[in-house]
Amino acid sequence: MADIIWGTVTKVISINAFEMNVSHQKDTNNDSYQDVEEIYFTEVDIPSIPADEASRNVSDIEQNLKDKFVKCEISGRNSENRLVCVVSHSGAGGY
Amino acid sequence: MFSQLWQKHNLHTEDLISGKTPFILIPNVISKSTCASLSEKIFKNYKTIPGPGMKNKIGTSLGSHIYEKSKYFLNSKKSNTYTQNIFSDSHSPLKSMHQIISQTFQKQISTASENEMSYSECVIRIHNDRDSVHLHRDNCNFEMPDYTVSKYKNQLSAILYLQSPESGGELTVYDKQWNRYDERSRQPDFGYSFDLVNGVSYTSISPIVGNLVLLNPNFYHKVESVSGHKPRVSVGFFFGESSTSKLSCWT
Repeated sequence: MADIIWGTVTKVISINAFEMNVSHQKDTNNDSYQDVEEIYFTEVDIPSIPADEASRNVSDIEQNLKDKFVKCEISGRNSENRLVCVVSHSGAGGY
Repeated sequence: MFSQLWQKHNLHTEDLISGKTPFILIPNVISKSTCASLSEKIFKNYKTIPGPGMKNKIGTSLGSHIYEKSKYFLNSKKSNTYTQNIFSDSHSPLKSMHQIISQTFQKQISTASENEMSYSECVIRIHNDRDSVHLHRDNCNFEMPDYTVSKYKNQLSAILYLQSPESGGELTVYDKQWNRYDERSRQPDFGYSFDLVNGVSYTSISPIVGNLVLLNPNFYHKVESVSGHKPRVSVGFFFGESSTSKLSCWT
């Protein structure tokens, strides 16, 4: 099972990377994570963000992710020390 | 004082929208005997599905389909047929709720639609013994930008109680509104950390049969645990301004 962390997106860095405040970590994670991590997302399970990177821009990513609470399923770290993740929104704050 | 909230059926809807007051309580919207027969009919017919933060509900809601828009509208069609059938040959609580809201806000109200597809018109919530709903707020402006209703202004919610439990089941409303930075206190599955409302004053609204609550759902709220074999039953929806003269509702 992949490690999972949750938190809010604080800054969009590029069309496939953002910074997040990590507020929750799965109890059974193999590793522990910093309070602030940079995420490189390989997939994003949010329909309003195009899967095709060529169709994305930073503004769209900000509109969809900035300040949002997200779930990140981690597959490793890349050479920039960013967590490589599949990203999705997590649950609901209400409704 | 938060405990001296406006609780009269009056035209102070601006206070509700602005957040000066978090709710308006309108008693005796439908009779106790009507509520009893509606509850009986619900229990005879009901097929429930789990919802966010709760176990039993009849009807579809956006919270279960944040990124499954086509599935939401497909399920809405089914659930609207189902609830219309439940309320078909008896007094419709939705009709009463719409009338009261229309009179109170001086605007027409109808179920929201998008590309000629109807939103889910209501959710019937059934809280059994020990059921509760964790601290949350409701705001589709922020969380559900793919839906047209997320663009509607001044969103509120309406809850009508059809059956009271033996005890418990109060709606606790905190004197604190959500802001986007509170997302840092989200719980992974549903709702928020209680740290957000630590020391914050609150009001408890008893689920009295026939009473209608108009709530500004941006205020943090929760449903206390129900006790006893008699379930708490409520019917509710959200509504907002789809134009200057019209209100549209959905769940």
